[in-house]
Amino acid sequence: MTDDLQPLEKEARAIRATCMQMAFDGREGHLSASMTYADVLVALHRRWLRPADAASGRSADRFILSKGHGCTALYAMLAACGRIPKESLALYNHPGGPLPNHPCEHALPEIEMSAGSLGHGLGVATGMLYGLRLRGDSARVAVLLGDGECNEGSVWEAAMFAAARKLGNLLAIVDYNGIQAVGRSDDLMGHTDLAAKFRAFGWAAETLDGHDMAAIVDALSRVPFAPGRPTAIVAKTRMGVSFMEGDVVWHYRKPSADDLARALAELDAAPIHKDVP
Amino acid sequence: MRRAFVDTLTELAAADDRVAILTGDLGFQVFDRFIERFPDRYVNVGIAEAQVVCAAAGMARVGFRPFAYSIASFMTARPFEQIRFAVGYPRLPVVFVGAGGGYCYAQSGVSHHAPDDFALMGLVPGMTLVAPGDPHEVHDLLPQLVRLDGPSYIRIGKFGEPAYEANSPIVLGKGRILRSGRKVAVLTAGETAPIALDALERLAPDGISPTVCQFHTLRPLDTGMLAELAAAGHTAFVCAEECCPQGGLHQQVALWIQSAGLPIRHVRLGPPDEFVLGNPDRNAFRAACGFDAAGIADACRRAWHAT
Repeated sequence: MTDDLQPLEKEARAIRATCMQMAFDGREGHLSASMTYADVLVALHRRWLRPADAASGRSADRFILSKGHGCTALYAMLAACGRIPKESLALYNHPGGPLPNHPCEHALPEIEMSAGSLGHGLGVATGMLYGLRLRGDSARVAVLLGDGECNEGSVWEAAMFAAARKLGNLLAIVDYNGIQAVGRSDDLMGHTDLAAKFRAFGWAAETLDGHDMAAIVDALSRVPFAPGRPTAIVAKTRMGVSFMEGDVVWHYRKPSADDLARALAELDAAPIHKDVP
Repeated sequence: MRRAFVDTLTELAAADDRVAILTGDLGFQVFDRFIERFPDRYVNVGIAEAQVVCAAAGMARVGFRPFAYSIASFMTARPFEQIRFAVGYPRLPVVFVGAGGGYCYAQSGVSHHAPDDFALMGLVPGMTLVAPGDPHEVHDLLPQLVRLDGPSYIRIGKFGEPAYEANSPIVLGKGRILRSGRKVAVLTAGETAPIALDALERLAPDGISPTVCQFHTLRPLDTGMLAELAAAGHTAFVCAEECCPQGGLHQQVALWIQSAGLPIRHVRLGPPDEFVLGNPDRNAFRAACGFDAAGIADACRRAWHAT
């Protein structure tokens, strides 16, 4: 294995640290929905999403965060990629600011699609891909969904359509953190296999450890898993901070100064907007 | 109107490769000619209205001008959240088409009644609302909707509605004088326009000659036309509408009269605010509610003699 994944792993820790800092400064929680998908998010942005290619006429690949409440990680990633100023992260959840606690494309045009109401992103992505294909544009779309979001029927309406229309350029990644707003997703979904559900809908789907960077990068390199089929990756995830793991309270809880200090120490990372040289 | 709709849609698709139509598995044989010419731009999504709307939003995001089509109740109430959030909030140019609005499917039960389509769609900021009254208005308004940069909703009826002739052009956002009269103005929206014209024929022998003004665009409402009617000496408005009392023509006109502070008598003829049970015949239902030709004529007669 010659591929050095350490920079990606390090960046994912920095994204988590940034989520903690933003939640602390902005007095807004949703950490269990943000920190969990940091590894997947970094891998997508550093290894999978392609810029536009003028020669072939292909437009840029798109990333849609469908579960908008997990937006601190996305804001941090956009800043890490230089698409928004790192300093703007300090404005998270500020009234009238560009980074509301559910992303708004009017406030921040870098956001592909506003989010906050669950169950829309996958369906919108299917329409985009259908239209792009009519135009002869082979751009891909990745959608990040929550496991709780998969309670929504509209997710499965979209899944059915994607398979029927053979949208092979569609990638859905489910952040399977196991935690919903009030309950645990396994209890609410009857301890059933999410990847098997996607397969039953005609997708190619795999479950992986959402913190095994090698597995994530390998899976992304194989998309589409099957020609002409949409791809689903169910990423089993944790928050990445031992004292916060598995506790539903972190959907809402705002971290204290002590929580922040402990988390940053354990992550061994600084928030990216506090680490500007 | 449905024939005018699909013929016009096909013309639009021929001239503009951004035009596409998504359906929720409805419109049997309606789109055959369209499909023959533009198979890729006809998308039967399945019985999945949320997905119809989200897929239309996605297509609009990559530059298309999609139409989303279903029976009016299933096009509006059922996927309302998707309409509000996935199309309205980002102000995408999707044209929603509600087939058989109002009580077009009166005998099919409450599931198929859509008296609330305009009230619901009017709750979405920026949503243009269109209620054509005949095939000509469908034909002339559709291209104007495709040119909008935001979302719109158009209610269309069935097949074979009568066309009417009028000198005034069909311009989005403008009221249309179908017949010029005096003292009393019958205000119509959608399919109450031809009913009002029938009512006029019943009144003519008595020398009663109201104006008929059709508001095919419910939003933005042409309040300038209301002011003109008032200025021309119309002191009574008889509003005939086939929708619930909320969010239709009557309510908007009432608010305008109130804000303008004008002494205009204003009568509403239309369905009550209740679920309509008993699978009535549509014409009988209109008569029972007083917005058939006889009911409109009676209301005009009373208003004429009271002014």
